[in-house]
Amino acid sequence: MKKIETSRRRFLQGSVALCVYATSSFSFTSKQNSSITTIENIPYLCNMCRNKCAGFARVQNNTITKLNPNKYFPKSRNMLCPKGNAGIQAIYDKDRLKYPLIRIGNRGDGRYKRVTWDEAYEYIKDKLVTIIDEEKDNRSTIAYCNGEGFNKDEYIKFFGSKLGSANFLDEGSICLNTKLGATQLTIGDIGEMDVAGSDYLIISGANRYESLITPDSIDMIHSKQKLVVLDPRCTVTALKADEYLPLNPGTDLAFCLSMIYIAIKEKLYNETYVKEYFKDFDKLQKHILKNNYTASWAESKTHIPAKKIEQISREFFGAKNPLYYLGRRSVWAQNDFQLRRAMVLINALAGSVNRKGGIIFGKPFVLKQEQINEAFYNNSQGRFDLDGIVYGSQKGGSWLNFREKVLTKKAPYPVRAMFIRKHNIMQNMPNIAKTKEMLNGMDLVVVLDTMPSDTAMMADVILPECTYLEREDMVVSFNRLEPSLALRNKVVEPLYESRSMQDILHGLGRKLSKPLFAVSAKYDEDLQESIEELGAKNAFKEGGYDFTELYQNSIEQRNKKLIVSQFGLDVYTSLKTKGVWHPYIGKQKELYNDYYEYYPKEKRFYTVDRKYRVNCYLGKLEKSGFDPMPTWHSHYDFKLSEDSFRLITGRYITSTQTATTNNIMLKEFQEKNHLWINDRVAKKLDIKEGDTLVINSPIESVVIQAYPTNKIAPQVLWFAHGFGTESEELTNAYGKGASDNMIIEDKFEKIYGCATMHETNVTIRKL
Amino acid sequence: MMANYAMAFDYKLCINCHACEVACKEENGIDLGAKNHRLWIDEDGETEGDFWNLARDKITFIQMQCQECQDAPCLKACPNGAIYIDDNGIVRLYKEKCDLTLACMKACPYDARYIDEKNAITDKCIFCADTRLARGETTTACQITCPAKLRYFGDLDDEESEISKILRERKHFTLKPELGTKPKLFYLE
Amino acid sequence: MKIGPINIPLKEDFSLKSILGFEKTPMNMLVAVLTLAFLAMFVVGVATYLMHGHHAYNVTREHPWGLLIAVYIFFVVSSTGFCIVGSLGDVFGFKDYMMISKRAIFGSIVTILAGFAVIAFEIGHPVTMLIYNVLSPGLTSAIWWMGTLYGIYLTFMIVEFYFLLNNNMQKARIFGLIGLLVGLAAHSNLGGVFGFLNARTISNGVFYPTYFILTAFITGIYLSFIIMGFRYKMNFDEKTKALLVGLAKIQTLLIAILMFFETWKMLTAVYGGMPNRAEVAEHIMHSGAFMYGEVLMGMLIPFTVMLLTKWRSVTTYVWTSVIGMVGIFFMRYDLVHDTQLKPLQMMKTHEYQLPPSWVEYFPSATEIMISLGGLGLCVLLYYVGTRAFNLDEEH
Ligand code: SF4
Ligand code: SF4
Ligand code: SF4
Repeated sequence: MKKIETSRRRFLQGSVALCVYATSSFSFTSKQNSSITTIENIPYLCNMCRNKCAGFARVQNNTITKLNPNKYFPKSRNMLCPKGNAGIQAIYDKDRLKYPLIRIGNRGDGRYKRVTWDEAYEYIKDKLVTIIDEEKDNRSTIAYCNGEGFNKDEYIKFFGSKLGSANFLDEGSICLNTKLGATQLTIGDIGEMDVAGSDYLIISGANRYESLITPDSIDMIHSKQKLVVLDPRCTVTALKADEYLPLNPGTDLAFCLSMIYIAIKEKLYNETYVKEYFKDFDKLQKHILKNNYTASWAESKTHIPAKKIEQISREFFGAKNPLYYLGRRSVWAQNDFQLRRAMVLINALAGSVNRKGGIIFGKPFVLKQEQINEAFYNNSQGRFDLDGIVYGSQKGGSWLNFREKVLTKKAPYPVRAMFIRKHNIMQNMPNIAKTKEMLNGMDLVVVLDTMPSDTAMMADVILPECTYLEREDMVVSFNRLEPSLALRNKVVEPLYESRSMQDILHGLGRKLSKPLFAVSAKYDEDLQESIEELGAKNAFKEGGYDFTELYQNSIEQRNKKLIVSQFGLDVYTSLKTKGVWHPYIGKQKELYNDYYEYYPKEKRFYTVDRKYRVNCYLGKLEKSGFDPMPTWHSHYDFKLSEDSFRLITGRYITSTQTATTNNIMLKEFQEKNHLWINDRVAKKLDIKEGDTLVINSPIESVVIQAYPTNKIAPQVLWFAHGFGTESEELTNAYGKGASDNMIIEDKFEKIYGCATMHETNVTIRKL
Repeated sequence: MMANYAMAFDYKLCINCHACEVACKEENGIDLGAKNHRLWIDEDGETEGDFWNLARDKITFIQMQCQECQDAPCLKACPNGAIYIDDNGIVRLYKEKCDLTLACMKACPYDARYIDEKNAITDKCIFCADTRLARGETTTACQITCPAKLRYFGDLDDEESEISKILRERKHFTLKPELGTKPKLFYLE
Repeated sequence: MKIGPINIPLKEDFSLKSILGFEKTPMNMLVAVLTLAFLAMFVVGVATYLMHGHHAYNVTREHPWGLLIAVYIFFVVSSTGFCIVGSLGDVFGFKDYMMISKRAIFGSIVTILAGFAVIAFEIGHPVTMLIYNVLSPGLTSAIWWMGTLYGIYLTFMIVEFYFLLNNNMQKARIFGLIGLLVGLAAHSNLGGVFGFLNARTISNGVFYPTYFILTAFITGIYLSFIIMGFRYKMNFDEKTKALLVGLAKIQTLLIAILMFFETWKMLTAVYGGMPNRAEVAEHIMHSGAFMYGEVLMGMLIPFTVMLLTKWRSVTTYVWTSVIGMVGIFFMRYDLVHDTQLKPLQMMKTHEYQLPPSWVEYFPSATEIMISLGGLGLCVLLYYVGTRAFNLDEEH
């Protein structure tokens, strides 16, 4: 007599029935004679966040009934986090994009009509031919971006190598390019941090227990090093730390400079190492001493007591395998590049490079690349988003600079179309209004995604991609210390009419190759010549104009060929049955309670033969008018007017940016975000838990509920990223909580062109 | 097959990630809804004082679920004899006998029970007995997924099992021992 | 009316007409309209429950028992009370009380039926309960004993009533005595349901089982005043007056004892600040339901009035008894609510949640409708009874 809620199981059956009905008839027949339940466990790689943990999917009657961790993968160490476990709800999310759609309403209002794949391709083709023709074969007028790690290269090959556009953008410039760059430019490699091997670990701001990075987070739990955490907010990581140093936001650099100062002044650094590897150490020494970055100076900036800074510095440099964690997080402020560099230098001063517990170079498996014939377009122009940026990533560019130039028409040529794959640009970068304006100015916006995100709602054409559980992806090499190969196997057939990215591009390529070749033939003199010489057919083929070249074979065939030829059949079999391969996979030792040792300690690549220097001084920066070494400037000081606050952002353990807020299971843990505000400040302002507040930033305002707590610094506000979705199609996430990028100002630093997320000051008002 | 299943928690390692809870819900098809759960993590204590001098040592995360009482108040309170201890030492329910008087819910000192709306019975953690154990697996959903691997699950009657060993080696306590319920969930010091 | 060997002496004029043929005084009309309204609510409430299940109730994981359980207890305590008062005459042979026996025993049947009607919609599967109560009895369960004993008790009450109707005082006495004992046992087991809650120090122990019997007696007397006032329309003859004066005196004594009980319970609960008990007791004492409901209406007002009027003003006592019954209702409500006040876990399970403090509960409209429906059912059955049977003492 009780009311029965639509439970997952029911919904699951419901949705499967639905999809069976909606898709082909062969899956229907296979469903019919499925009275006997066979259980299959298929290895796959998680895609609920960037980590790509390994798991086994339990499949019964073509339905995934459970996701379990995979004990063979050194990276994820036999665990699945809450998001990984809830991945099952991602494939069976009723809000998924199911069919190709073409917009019939205005951008953003969500009115679309269902079309066939062919109609969608046809539509795109017509638009592209017109645009590229009008732009006289300047292929870079088509920008393309991708927010997902897997298949990124394939995507670039299609739009870059084949279609010929220079304008590729990815999440790097709204994520951690400064850290990658700082490491690369300082020690010549981006390296990897050996958290497990360290005995003293300092973490600035990175919230490793609520924003899991495998294996770092897992290693922190299982190893017994001393953990020191600096953060203007007492996160779970801070709660668990041996020492928590609360500090003013954005002042980590002052702390680092002071550590360097103390190391130099007290000669705590590893002299032999410095002598052997450091370049321009004298410059660094002089610079640090001259600026007098003493502990008490740092206290005045950071609010961390000088005694504490001295104590931590001495402990750090006195430890056997200390590690200053370089972070894996968004870029905070203008000084971010030099902040990360200061961290690298601290590690280097301690000698913690290319050795156990430090930044290691290791020995990753290098996978052979499949060769493709790259097309060449004379009229295609170069990228412009790195103009005015010192280094920048040639691959992923600088989003904010790109957007600004497109919007203000300062770009050397118009960008008229955009292909967006799994990249929720309407939510993931500061100042959403500008992204919207940019997209509104385009003649064609195509979105490849699994969910009707805010960005999808801006598309002219939506192409439904299948989820990670419905496709095989190209094999990937992971990690350097304990390297392994891992393969994402297909667990079930794609639901509805969704397709893998490769299939989508294959179809699109078939449509586009010839007509776009014809456009080039109109404008490209070299091509005209080659046609004359070889005839159209051969010019097309040899010039690499066939977009489908890469997809002649299925992913399965390509993987097999690649893996077997490079590693042999055993490795391939291991990847197909266990999802993973590493040299010790058969001899893995269980340490305790299903926790394993993968590589025996003596076989890990702690130290490798490598020539490198530690660059203290970057002359190119000096020439461009920037600090060549980490330096503090008075405008970095944390000073705010009485009634304003610094806004910082972060994540919950149960959500990955905007990608998971619609997940019906995860929603139960954090349905919306709340504003952390210091309890004493809140009391003064008469703000109580649950009160509705308006946050005003210079660009916009949002409404959010208050959570007064003693776990955040006064004059600092925090709320989690990923909420405040505006797409009504995401029925679980729509209208829940506030979106940080609505109010974060679009500033970016000039070394890597990365968006600085923690430089916005706001005021609040009770509603 | 007979065993005396129990669980031990290295509870201080917990990072309150909720992986165990999601895994349990997915494995056992628990009704949606924040209050419907077989297991949960209690955040015991609050940070104290002012931000710059925060006392953090008051906070612990404690794994909570049915304590598998050997002298179970829920079993004794049920008017229909619907609750029993199975061959594996797990407190179970004859689903067809449950009349939802909720006497068990009221009697349980650990708030372990909730109403399973779908099956219209009261439900609680049964160590995945009708899912994983029934399929012959030897781990529970929460144990295997936990990033801290802090949940030791095993047979107390087997001297050689990891849980028996760890209980011999390390000090541990049970919750509300004064009630005489003799829980089989142990918290490792 | 004769069914085989069974002879049920109905009133000669018993018919639908006689049921509808009550005096249309404003008071009677009010009662009639209210009763009908309550019955209508019962139908609506039950329908809502059948459609939405426990979602129609405000009960939660922390507060699984709500108003319906309180109302059930209210009715079964009333039944036991009636039974005790009824037994005074026909079991124990107090001549003065003989005149109320039949009426009280009938009252005890009616109230327990109303109680069962209400509880049926609280228990998820009443049929399952009936089956497995028998097939796999939970002998350690206070609820099992209570339910089973109440079942037996009801049977005995019906048999006793039958013999009373047939003026077979001998047999009525025997069945009455057994019925009374079984009823008391059932009733103390109901107390045991709460007394056994060893996780809840506020209710654990001997207090509730004994307290239940005491308050049952008090309830019985309050109800006697009300039904006698209703029967005689406040114009009591001397004999009735003597009966009521006697009952009033007993009532004063019982309330005095109850007040001692409560006082000591609260004092011992608060004393020493024992965790989980002291703060709950204090919380209870600060609640209006306890102070105004239980103490003032349930005890102090009736007690003071009786003392001040020196047990002579029986008509007033009919009114104070109505107040007293409201107080008794709060006793039952508080009993259920207070034993769930303190959450078993005082910790946060999610961020953005203040640590749980006191469990809040207020009955939903459905719960209130079904409860009032129970009252309506009770009044209706009783009224039909007065039309069908001669409930007065026969000479
Ligand atoms: S950390 Fe969690 S979400 Fe990310 S890949 Fe691993 S299991 Fe998936
Ligand atoms: S913890 Fe509660 S539900 Fe579990 S056995 Fe004990 S009393 Fe029963
Ligand atoms: S999975 Fe493990 S670490 Fe995470 S909340 Fe559960 S017990 Fe704690």
